[in-house]
Amino acid sequence: MSQDIESRLRAALRPVAPSEDFSQKLLARVLADQPTQPKPRRLLSAGARPWAWWLTASLAACLIAAVGVRQHLEQQRLQQSGLEARREVVEALRVTSQKLNLAYEAVKNQSTSLADEKSGV
Amino acid sequence: MNDGAADLLDDELAKARSGVRTALAVLVQAHRRAVYSLALRMLGSRDLAEDLTQDVFMQLNGNLRTIESNKHLGFWLRRVTTNRAIDQLRRRARVQMTSLEDDQPFFSAEDDSDPLLQRHLRDLLSELTPAARAVLLLRYQEDLDPTDIAQTLDMPINTVKSHLKRSLETMREKSLGMQATRCEDSST
Repeated sequence: MSQDIESRLRAALRPVAPSEDFSQKLLARVLADQPTQPKPRRLLSAGARPWAWWLTASLAACLIAAVGVRQHLEQQRLQQSGLEARREVVEALRVTSQKLNLAYEAVKNQSTSLADEKSGV
Repeated sequence: MNDGAADLLDDELAKARSGVRTALAVLVQAHRRAVYSLALRMLGSRDLAEDLTQDVFMQLNGNLRTIESNKHLGFWLRRVTTNRAIDQLRRRARVQMTSLEDDQPFFSAEDDSDPLLQRHLRDLLSELTPAARAVLLLRYQEDLDPTDIAQTLDMPINTVKSHLKRSLETMREKSLGMQATRCEDSST
């Protein structure tokens, strides 16, 4: 007995068939069941597709850089137009000042000649 | 299983993967006996074994694309069946082996062993821990070597060997005890 326990176990543990009724139900159930479709992988599933993650990160970085450059250029354009306007105002003030100087000189000359005429008389 | 049958089942597996339902039926027919026997002897109840067998094949239906060959399919089925059975047994606080259905062919009727000894072996098997029971079934029912058992149960090979050694020693001692009792009974 002790020496053939393994062979007795092998003999005793021969596979047994399920009942025919159950087998038919099993087949019907398995065949009626549609296999589940694998879920589509998300673009950003980092473990599954690392290249997709890098591609998305690169695109995002490019977009951020483009927006930054655009804002910088817009800032420069506004600064340039501000300087231009300042130059125009200074020029206008200079011209006005010249005109006022001329008018002042004319008025001054006229009043000097009137005084000379009075003293000559 | 001979090479011709294995090749045939490899072909059927390829067809089943591509959606041929009749090929899936062939695979179920080929493996239902092994899956059901494992489930029955692990759980000790025909109803639970039928439920588990059905669940395992339904799970297979959704995992066919991951199965590479008929050999892999056998490994996968044994692994899923034993793991799920062990989980079920562990969920139960205490396995009530008195609820076993004695009218079911828990052991094969094809052998000429002593029916009393069969019943005794059945009782001894059901007294083992779920893991030890799975190891013994994979060894003596499925005829796997300890390396394959270790892979199937995701268990270190030394643990498999130790389960086998301890379980066989226990069964041997208790069988000798039973034999001695019967000798005494027959002599009186």
